[in-house]
Amino acid sequence: MWLLFRLGGSTERRDLVRFSMFRSWRVGVPLLAAMLVAGPFVAPAQAQQQGGKVLRVALVQEVDHLNPFLASFASSTMVGRLAWEFLTLPSAEDNTPSPGLATSWTTSDDKLTWTYQIRQGVKWSDGQAVTAKDAAFTFNRIMTDKKAQEANGTYVENFASVTAPDDHTLVIRTKVPQASMTAIDVPIVPEHIWAGISDMDDAKTDGVPVVGVGDGPFLITEYRPNELVRLKANPDYWRGKAKYDELQFISYKNADAAVNALRNDEVDLVNRLTSTQFDALQGEANITTNKATGRRYRELLINPGAQNLDHQPIGDGNPALKDVRVRKAIAQAIDPRTLIDKVLGGYGELGGGLLPTSYPKYHWDPSDAQRYKFDPAAANAALDAAGYPKGADGTRVGPDGKPLQLRLLGRASEDFAQRGSDYVVSWLGAIGIKVTKQLVSDNEVDDRSNAGTYDLAFSGWGTSPDPDYTLGKQSCGALPATAGSSSSASFFCDPQFDALYQQESTELDPAKRADLVKQAQARYYDQVPSVVIDYDNPLEAFRTDRFTSFPKQPAGSGNIMEQSGYWGFYGATPADGGSDSGGLPAGAWVGIGAAVIVVIGAGVGLSRRKKSADDQE
Amino acid sequence: MTAAIVWQRRRAAAAGVWREFAANRGGLAGLVILAVIVLLAVLAPVITDPSGLDVTNAPGRPLQPPSGRFPLGTDIDGRSVLLLTLWGARVSLLVGFAATILSVLIGTIVGIAAGHFGRWVAGILLRLTDFFLVLPSLVLAIALSTVLPQGIATIILAVGVTSWPTTARLVRAQTLTIESRPYIERAKALGGGHLHIVGKHVLPGVLPLVLANTTLVVGNSIIAESTLSFLGLGDPSAVSWGSMLQRALSSGAVTGGAWWYLLPPGLAIVVIVLCFTLVGRALETVVNPRLKGHS
Repeated sequence: MWLLFRLGGSTERRDLVRFSMFRSWRVGVPLLAAMLVAGPFVAPAQAQQQGGKVLRVALVQEVDHLNPFLASFASSTMVGRLAWEFLTLPSAEDNTPSPGLATSWTTSDDKLTWTYQIRQGVKWSDGQAVTAKDAAFTFNRIMTDKKAQEANGTYVENFASVTAPDDHTLVIRTKVPQASMTAIDVPIVPEHIWAGISDMDDAKTDGVPVVGVGDGPFLITEYRPNELVRLKANPDYWRGKAKYDELQFISYKNADAAVNALRNDEVDLVNRLTSTQFDALQGEANITTNKATGRRYRELLINPGAQNLDHQPIGDGNPALKDVRVRKAIAQAIDPRTLIDKVLGGYGELGGGLLPTSYPKYHWDPSDAQRYKFDPAAANAALDAAGYPKGADGTRVGPDGKPLQLRLLGRASEDFAQRGSDYVVSWLGAIGIKVTKQLVSDNEVDDRSNAGTYDLAFSGWGTSPDPDYTLGKQSCGALPATAGSSSSASFFCDPQFDALYQQESTELDPAKRADLVKQAQARYYDQVPSVVIDYDNPLEAFRTDRFTSFPKQPAGSGNIMEQSGYWGFYGATPADGGSDSGGLPAGAWVGIGAAVIVVIGAGVGLSRRKKSADDQE
Repeated sequence: MTAAIVWQRRRAAAAGVWREFAANRGGLAGLVILAVIVLLAVLAPVITDPSGLDVTNAPGRPLQPPSGRFPLGTDIDGRSVLLLTLWGARVSLLVGFAATILSVLIGTIVGIAAGHFGRWVAGILLRLTDFFLVLPSLVLAIALSTVLPQGIATIILAVGVTSWPTTARLVRAQTLTIESRPYIERAKALGGGHLHIVGKHVLPGVLPLVLANTTLVVGNSIIAESTLSFLGLGDPSAVSWGSMLQRALSSGAVTGGAWWYLLPPGLAIVVIVLCFTLVGRALETVVNPRLKGHS
């Protein structure tokens, strides 16, 4: 912050350069001191409470969309999960399917027709009844509107038809039997609001008039992009109103600011902590930390030749990466264990298949013989054999005569990308692949990894209890219709993988299905469209003097934020007599103090400045 | 013959300037410290082992406090903070000097052109200067470094093209003062063309001031570079003081209380900018007679 100030101040100063230096320093020093004091306390003004109990959550990832058809960031889907109810959702205890809007469900003998009984008496927040027609509309919209498929397209690709014979019955017919029909992670939206939206990409679909109408435990009441999402507890929620009144997601530019806010009682719940921050918060008064088993995998994408649904190449990935031998050599040259130990401070589990260890039924680990062992010498030899000899400057040259230079895309806001990229650059440099880092904004990473304009990229996805969602994102069917509208996670398109995925998703015998899921992951691992680095332990912390407990998913070992469902927020229990309405929080008082110092400091600086100017002439 | 006299005079003038400069203790101290820093930065590849900069070869454990082995402790990846600070000086100085040269070059050309030609040329050039002057330079620099490919050259360009207008204003004012002197009129009457007047009379008259100004601009350029790196817009492959601070912040070292990770780059920025300011001010008093007795 002080750096900013000095640069800003310099324009003013330079004009008077002949006799100015000390004057601007007099103005500068008190201001600088005041800003240093004020710095960490600027945010709370927006987070002040307006009566009632409030849960304030720090958000350190950008929100891309609130529109549930487009929202793909973990932060955005987390907000969307609160505002709209699902048909069924994984339970907080153990991720087994539990009733949401659907009270019960049956399947036909041929396993192709699923009939859901829709809960009666549930109302949208504008008073209209929630019916099976809303659910039918939601699925039909995703099935027919390409733009609406961005976030949840994989769930419906096997749907033949979705109908609502009456208000309380929803019938879904699938093309082939599908095992994941009780784990459809799609928010059901009100037809009377969304039927009028012709263009899903329209910016107004992120506005409160559209997204504010919901039936979930919380309703969106205010959205200021990159600043604040405010929700109020839904008083008519069918499970009953939450135990507090308002939920705020306050954006922080970096996790350190969020941690300071937690310490200063400006927010109550923080996630995505770095290991250093997590260790520092342990043992602090009134703060409880939570190290959870992760349901996300972190990966290094290796562009295998991005293409669209019609198999036309898109993007500008390095053609050398289409060669599976090059991708395997890259996988051999990087060492996930080191990344976990050093960059993640040990808070992660070594990666294997796409599905993390928290879903033991489907998790797959390569055997010792299958695993890519960190072995730069072997990687070098493999590249030599594949026809990529080292050039004079140590960089390998491909068969097309072009040097093997790759770009590594990552989020500038993310510690892992910033630091991990240094390791990858060094490791790949050792096998003659020159890598340049490109650390950009979250949204640009998203745009470019959707458009295929990357060579290597740090990425990661949350997984669902049902493996279809994750595997579906790697299938040919998930390839984008047009560049940029991708639901494909890695641009992987492999007939063998697709066959296994198809078999898996139609297999209703649990043991056989699990085996097929593992085979599909093994194929993915072998073809390396991405290297699964690890499954991060989500690191969270909350203030126990404001909220005593949060439900975790799964119970005991799980995370609070970014769950499959809304349990963590819905079930939060406020502390008795916790500070709520009335009075400013301590941070605000310090902020006011700092503002006073700014005013006085600037005043003193100005008066001195005037004096010295008088002295001059 | 005359050339010898000219050189003799110049040497005498330079000696005079040096005497006056040396009389200013602050300026002298700044110059000495600056010389040491520049020497250390230039010799960094000789006196240290650059392989310690590679995260995969980091010799220490993450965030070790200062010890005998690591006088300034280690960073989040286990590298020596002392080593990083030394190498960071190279980027900071390189960008500082290069951006300043760019900025002063643009500023001087625009300033002299505006002062010398006057009328519509001045009108256009000064409006352009005003445009850059009122634009917040940080915002412009951020915008530039976002559109252009990341790298040191981009940072130099971004800092250089946003910090020239004040130099231009200064040079224009000085040009006007010089051009109003009778010997310029005489030179014109004797048939001296634009090139002759600007090259032989105006430029030598403006140069001392430009030089003093340059020293001050370097300090600002270094801060600008650190700011941009701190915001994550710097060259991602080179260690600079700004990027060290950024990494300390984003990795949570601040929360972890690792003061040894933050203080060295922060203090280094303060010291180097202070040195340039001291030297610049001392030079200014020497070359600008109006400032004598004031500082």
